[in-house]
Amino acid sequence: MPDAAVRLTGITKRFPGVVANRDVDLTIERGEVHALCGENGAGKSTLMKILYGMQRPDEGTVEIDGEQVVLRSPADAIARGIGMVHQHFKLADNLTVLENVILGAEPRRFGRIDFAAARAAIRDMSARYGLRVDPDSLVQPLGVGDRQRVEILKVLYRGAKVLILDEPTAVLVPQEVDELFANLRELRAEGLTVLFISHKLDEVLSVADAISVIRRGTTVATRLDPAEVTARRLAELMVGSELPTPELRESTVTDEVQLDVAGLTVRTPEGRAVVDDVSLRIRRGEIVGLAGVEGNGQGELIEALMGIRPAASGTIRYGGVDVTHWPTRRRREAGIAYIPEDRHRHGLVLEAPLWENRMLGHQTERPNARGPWIDRRGARRDTARIAAEYDVRTPGIDVPAGALSGGNQQKLIVGREMSGAPKLLVAAHPTRGIDVGAQAAIWDALRAARAAGLAVLLVSADLEELIGMSDTLHVILRGRLVAEVDPRSVTPEDLGSAMTGAVS
Amino acid sequence: MNAVKKLRLPHYLLIAAGLLVLLSLVRVVDGANDVTSSGTVEAMLRLAVPIFLAGLGGLWAERAGVINIGLEGMMILGTWTGAWAGYQWGPWIGVLAGIAGGALGGLLHAVATVSFGVDHIVSGVAINILGLGLTQFLAGLVFNVGHAKELGGGPRQSPPVDPITKISLPVLSGGGGTPDWLGSLEKHHWFLVSDLAGVLRGLTHQMSLLTLVALLLVPVSYFVLWRTPFGLRVRSCGEDPYAAESLGVRVYRMKYAAVLISGGLAGLAGAFLVTVAAPIYQDGQTAGRGFIGLAAMIFGNWRPGGLAAGSLLFGYTDAMNVRDGGQAVHALLLFVAVLLVAVAAWQAWRRSFLAAGLAAVAAVGLLVWFLDSDVVPGELVSFSPHLTTLLVLALASQRLRMPAADGLRYRRGEAR
Repeated sequence: MPDAAVRLTGITKRFPGVVANRDVDLTIERGEVHALCGENGAGKSTLMKILYGMQRPDEGTVEIDGEQVVLRSPADAIARGIGMVHQHFKLADNLTVLENVILGAEPRRFGRIDFAAARAAIRDMSARYGLRVDPDSLVQPLGVGDRQRVEILKVLYRGAKVLILDEPTAVLVPQEVDELFANLRELRAEGLTVLFISHKLDEVLSVADAISVIRRGTTVATRLDPAEVTARRLAELMVGSELPTPELRESTVTDEVQLDVAGLTVRTPEGRAVVDDVSLRIRRGEIVGLAGVEGNGQGELIEALMGIRPAASGTIRYGGVDVTHWPTRRRREAGIAYIPEDRHRHGLVLEAPLWENRMLGHQTERPNARGPWIDRRGARRDTARIAAEYDVRTPGIDVPAGALSGGNQQKLIVGREMSGAPKLLVAAHPTRGIDVGAQAAIWDALRAARAAGLAVLLVSADLEELIGMSDTLHVILRGRLVAEVDPRSVTPEDLGSAMTGAVS
Repeated sequence: MNAVKKLRLPHYLLIAAGLLVLLSLVRVVDGANDVTSSGTVEAMLRLAVPIFLAGLGGLWAERAGVINIGLEGMMILGTWTGAWAGYQWGPWIGVLAGIAGGALGGLLHAVATVSFGVDHIVSGVAINILGLGLTQFLAGLVFNVGHAKELGGGPRQSPPVDPITKISLPVLSGGGGTPDWLGSLEKHHWFLVSDLAGVLRGLTHQMSLLTLVALLLVPVSYFVLWRTPFGLRVRSCGEDPYAAESLGVRVYRMKYAAVLISGGLAGLAGAFLVTVAAPIYQDGQTAGRGFIGLAAMIFGNWRPGGLAAGSLLFGYTDAMNVRDGGQAVHALLLFVAVLLVAVAAWQAWRRSFLAAGLAAVAAVGLLVWFLDSDVVPGELVSFSPHLTTLLVLALASQRLRMPAADGLRYRRGEAR
């Protein structure tokens, strides 16, 4: 039997206070697509960082092609033929595709970069693997699918024989996923090995030759045959228990319109309409979903609703009152809650303790303030209440928000926003990048608030979540609402087509 | 998608030619021959070089993602070490010592910002204070005693340093006893012809060899930063160090290299001051040129060519000040007024009427001032370099784009 492409034996990695990986064994054969499944926080990423030389294991060995190696840096891993496509793309926006691809492994001629040779090499690889990109374009204007192709080119350019793809489908719409999988099959046909990290089980089953499952830092099953295992079984292995599903039971929609947006247009400073004549109604007790490929105006629409971005034209009526020109704070005080799309950039101050974060956006209201003064005791007591009610797992309310896992950070935000009896919730990607348990908790919170009469605008890239959690579902494309679909009958594929404008 | 057309070399040459014609016109109208005289251009070049070198230092550091506000301090270190070595072993050794002195400041900045993750502004300000204090202290200790004192040193200045050789182009600008054709052409004050002669003579007459070196650094910096693997790696550290790290680029090493080069260039700017501009080190000699260099770098959109243009602009206004150009600045009022009319027309065409209106009002104001007076008072002339800095940064900085990761703390392996 030939040597495995990669063999990890007894890998253990500890961080202060946590064991990220414990005694992991994993074998990846040459020329296969091997899927590694696990919840967020299960230790997949740490394991991959170890394989890519970004972290060093405390115990255990790494073998590549039967030879035991010590990987000190990504450069070592690259030299051994291991390449990684990160979940968050690592591309410099203001460099060209070509510069991003050759960086660190530049072809030289008389001490300068041989641009002609680099261009030829990239064109050749693009043609061979069906990875279409223009080498001389800047990365900045490229979409997600293109960026991913650049990332894969980057790895192939370095002569990688083993490709690690860290949750490559998280940011793609279904059509792009199909394209990616076609690319992966081409790579496999050329004899390359692909290690594919995901927690989307249907995708894993459709593309992988072998599947391994990791839970709480250790492998609980290795080299399962996708023909013999079901999605249900994989899910149970991942979670160790039953799976939550996004779904709504009986309708709680009332006749009372909480938010009425009419003809809303938002422009960039250059005058381009990014939200174009959007009209939308949300009634009390209703969750309205907004589906769309990222960058089609969802972010701008939300910011306009929150008063962060001015509306160029149109009106926003909230509970019958025209709030189009209200500042953000007045809107929030009137009961509009907001879960921002990027909790690190907008939702939290990572360096500040939890109880200070609890006050953000509600700093003028009880229990956080009395008159002009901050009410420390009130805020702290209420933070403890949120931590208990929303199951925020934390050693205390004085730890910085940055010390919590993504799921716990998000639960804190949800708890904060649900406090003070809001009437409208604007939720952008409320469950993005968090584990299944936290996801279920947030869905529960949304369901409970909906039953209590909350109006919700839900923006998400997770189509199952949108379909399962929405009473009404709109599709946004290039800033316009192009379709309204029935969440009870639509499939993710149809929704994906509508999102890309393939059908209308 | 991107509607802004890329400007290439022919465009820039066309713009430069247009500006020269306009300058020539206002010179003739106002009879202010100093506007384009070879003396002014010579002074502009001499005053622009330290600004340019400091700015180039800033460019190197910021391209690698380290804000270097300590340029002024590194420049001061360069003046002191340059003068200290220069008066003993000749100006070229002084230049090398100046580079070394500045690089020492750069090393300190790199240790603080790259290795220890100190905020770049904090470290830079500390280096400015340190550079000033240290050189004042050392000047008293070294220049105010014994042999150095006999040669003319003191607690606030060094003994004189031999100047660096100056060369002139033969035949055209009178180098080596040959005729000075451009000089005679200039004296006729013909429209455009004499202006062109004045500018060319200013650029080729009595130019210090060190100025030549500085000019060569424009293409050299461009080539190294944009055409070599090293340059690409340096720039990648300024755009996205975590992406660079993931590709095996040694980010710390690249940042160290860039900040050392940055300090060296600032030191060279200091050495230029003591070997070309003035023959000695003096306390307070740099006079904020490190900061103006940063402004020129921003004006130039973090590119060597643009930085050079910005430096020449500041050098020109400085030359007005040095040459007591009340008359010339008066002529320039008309020049700026005409430019503002053009800006107003362009903005109106773009349907940006507020900007057009403001530009038109400013143009009218300047025109009235121009017609109502004969010279600009000296106080205003001496303020003009600072005013230009302010206006340029306020008006030009909106369309500029700095390196994406400029000034951000980078720690290895902390990518999200």
